[in-house]
Amino acid sequence: MKRRLLHLLIALTATTTYQSAVAQDASMGQMMSMDRSMTQSLGGVDDQVLPESDLPPLPDMPSGFADFDTAYDYTDNATVEIHTLETVLALAAGNNPTIQQARLHVSAETSKALQAGLYPNPVLMYVGEKIGSDGSAGEFQGFEVSQRFVTAGKLQLSRLKYRQRAHVSEHLAIAQTYRVTNAVEVQFIEALAASMRLELQREIEKTAEDGAVTTREQYNQGQANLTAVRRANVMLQKQRLERMATENEYRDALRRLSAIVGVPLSIGPTEGELRPSNALESFDSVLSRLILESPEVLAVRAKLRVDQTTVRREQVEWIPDITIQGGPGYNFSNGDDVYNAGVQIELPIYDRNQGTIRQACQDLRRQQFEIQRIELHLKERLASAYRTYATALQHATEYDRVVIPELRAAYRQLLVSYKDNRIAWPDVLEGQRDYFQARMEQIDQFKHVRQQETMINGFLLDGGLMAAEGPVPPGHIDAVAKPR
Amino acid sequence: MSNTEDRRRFLTAGSLAAATGVVGNLLGRNVQAQEPMPMDMKGMSSHQHGEHATPQMPADSEVQAEYDGYSRFKPSRGNDPNSDYYLGKMMPGFRPASDGPAPFEAPDLDKLPYKMVGGVKEFQLVPMAVKREFLPGYEMNVYGYNGSMPGPTIEVTQGDRVRFVVTNELPEDTYVHWHGLELPVQWDGASELCQEPIKPGETFVYEFDVHEEGTFFYHSHVPMQEAFGMVGWFIVHPKKVFDPPVDRDFGLIFQNFFIDSSQNIADSWKMDWNWHTINGRSGPYTTPLVVKHGERVRVRIMNFAPMQHHPIHLHGHTFWLTGREGARTPHSAWIPRNTELVGIAQATDFEFIANNPGDWMFHCHMVHHMMNHMTEQVGPRMRRNTSVDDYLANLDSRPAVDSTRQDPGFGTPGYPQEMKGMNMSDAMMQKIGSRREMMGMRPMAEMAVMGLMTTLRVMPEDLYHKVMETDDLVEPGEVFTEIVKRFGDISKYNSGKKMMPGMKM
Repeated sequence: MKRRLLHLLIALTATTTYQSAVAQDASMGQMMSMDRSMTQSLGGVDDQVLPESDLPPLPDMPSGFADFDTAYDYTDNATVEIHTLETVLALAAGNNPTIQQARLHVSAETSKALQAGLYPNPVLMYVGEKIGSDGSAGEFQGFEVSQRFVTAGKLQLSRLKYRQRAHVSEHLAIAQTYRVTNAVEVQFIEALAASMRLELQREIEKTAEDGAVTTREQYNQGQANLTAVRRANVMLQKQRLERMATENEYRDALRRLSAIVGVPLSIGPTEGELRPSNALESFDSVLSRLILESPEVLAVRAKLRVDQTTVRREQVEWIPDITIQGGPGYNFSNGDDVYNAGVQIELPIYDRNQGTIRQACQDLRRQQFEIQRIELHLKERLASAYRTYATALQHATEYDRVVIPELRAAYRQLLVSYKDNRIAWPDVLEGQRDYFQARMEQIDQFKHVRQQETMINGFLLDGGLMAAEGPVPPGHIDAVAKPR
Repeated sequence: MSNTEDRRRFLTAGSLAAATGVVGNLLGRNVQAQEPMPMDMKGMSSHQHGEHATPQMPADSEVQAEYDGYSRFKPSRGNDPNSDYYLGKMMPGFRPASDGPAPFEAPDLDKLPYKMVGGVKEFQLVPMAVKREFLPGYEMNVYGYNGSMPGPTIEVTQGDRVRFVVTNELPEDTYVHWHGLELPVQWDGASELCQEPIKPGETFVYEFDVHEEGTFFYHSHVPMQEAFGMVGWFIVHPKKVFDPPVDRDFGLIFQNFFIDSSQNIADSWKMDWNWHTINGRSGPYTTPLVVKHGERVRVRIMNFAPMQHHPIHLHGHTFWLTGREGARTPHSAWIPRNTELVGIAQATDFEFIANNPGDWMFHCHMVHHMMNHMTEQVGPRMRRNTSVDDYLANLDSRPAVDSTRQDPGFGTPGYPQEMKGMNMSDAMMQKIGSRREMMGMRPMAEMAVMGLMTTLRVMPEDLYHKVMETDDLVEPGEVFTEIVKRFGDISKYNSGKKMMPGMKM
């Protein structure tokens, strides 16, 4: 009994062992097959561990679209024209069309003033009256001369009004000059900043190249894998694209500057000081000065005087002019010399120019609000410009005082630590990048400071290529043959 | 298959391979030029040490130059592993036991003075923040005792009653634990379990009898303070001098710290370490152990690293493990070693006869412990024609990198494995090399000693006298060359280049 039980147990154990062995075999087979399938799917060369000599090479320089027409390397060309703020401002003064437009607006208004004050011409008429009387050629055949005598100083008022408009145009011409010089300066600062940033982008590009080389050195020591090598290549190429973007930015800035200046500028270097010299006064002080001195405000105030004159002019319009006419003739009926004489005056019974006077008064009131609007608009624009200015100046100052010196000192310490064998080179590269990037950030901050400073000192006038404004908005009372 | 058959088969195969040139081609060298492996070991050592070197025994010594085939003046094993003198096990030093224990010497550490007060040895111990110059110019902030890290050595004799007046000058609580001593529990120093904290500015007095003998130490019982360096030797000499008596008794405390670059404050919270010290100094600023040829030497090593054990290896000698911090080991249990693992908070006593003249490395064998503040070796220091000075010369525009990398070494995966870089300033070299313990070593010996490393210098009597007992100028390499002349083969010796200022190490 015991022996049978023992045999049974042995048989059971053997079966179990066999089954588990088969199962294990099958399981191993599956694993092997899985391994094989994985191996097959990993067949590419790129999936293998590569010797350093077979690593993916450092990427070539970006080879797609290039702005060849303006490609330059002015560092190698001593004869290339250097652009300074003074030279481009001088060019703009002589060549920007909107400055000419503004001057012509002044001339046009003085011409209108001349025209508006001219006295009316006498009228010479041939008169034949009562032709056929008594079978004669008429009782009066002769010439008459009539002359309108303008009353109430209408012509003087009209001339004054247009002279005042010319004065408005002069303010607007000054404003236009500010618009142009502001645009030139802002764009020059843009170009100057871009050229400075470009220098730093080239530094960061060298650091990115170093990063790619360093990763390959790490790869060779088992401290970085193939993925890291590829990622370092990507970082390098991205940095090269960043540098190219800044080059494009620089060209863009010079081309825009060239458009504002009004003559072609060569794609050459810019020279100038980006760092601001003095800080602006407080917001309220700056605003007070703007409201007192802005050509825009001066123009709308001058325009108010135009409108006051317009009202006065329209108020005398109803006073009738006197027209006197007369002249010699021959009376064919009687056969003797005769004379005609007459006086003409309009009776202002129905039309006393009430509507136009009212319109002129409305215009005058509208202009009073226009002064207020312009002042508020200045305040609104100044608020935004002042905020940007203040933020940029605060940043630039602290970057100057703390951030840049600290990052520079940190970078130096990293180099010294590296020299002492206390830190790894990738840490130095990081410090180097941080330092150069902070300097780039500071250039942008200086750029914002200088641009906003330019705008604020230039009465916030922009649009150096917008058509120069005239003294009155379209639709004003100018729709008569003779200006009045 | 027996070992002999294995070896024979290997030799046969090797000869055949050499004959066909296969192995020679593979290895790029002429294997046939190699001598066959000697099977007869007789006479192996006779060539190594010149017969012209015949050290003299001190006139006043009664000990022998050789016991049972073991010589105190040349590398030897003795005739019988079961002999008391096998590997110099019981070979006495020159110093007689009647002179008492050999003076304990912990290089670069002072001893804590005491005064006898009513039959009690009274010590003043002051826990405090201290600065310690790990390397010349590298003055680090750590904690220690009485202005020192590690603290000064406490040295007493078995049976003494001791009193420690501890005045805490740290800005935080502390406790002192007398590690390994069997004392009344109230003096054990375990925080809160046994005593209230010693508040800043307060004084606490420990007093107990010392009935033990051996190698002990004291330390703060605040873990972060321990990691910040608060430890010191507590050596208890036996009433009856250990047999056999030694001529030298050295103590080395091994520690690790993490101190970041541009930083000199140790970070005790760190889980990694980049600075390694022996008695508060890193190699090559550690002070060599200088002994005379034939002396019996004891070295006590204590590992007070926060989290790293240290396999301690001595070159050129086989030492006996004669004790741990618990007690001296009975002779029957002594073990001969070349390397001994010393665990954290363990002390181990080594003894050996300095029978092999020369400058011998004595170091922790953990690779990363054989250097300080190690970093990845990439960047300008391994590139051709570049120097960090070029970068420092103009911080606003960095030199371009040569991406072609002409160094043929990069054809070898893993290149470089050598640490490259760190410059030694003239002042640093001067400070390291001007100590008498360093004089006469092979030129640029400093380059070999980093981190948890020091050297054992075994010198014949006359050279020892010139280096350690006179003010005579000893040129770099002078002692080493003389030792090679006397005990080696000077015709096959390259004396090396003298270290130049600014040289990389």
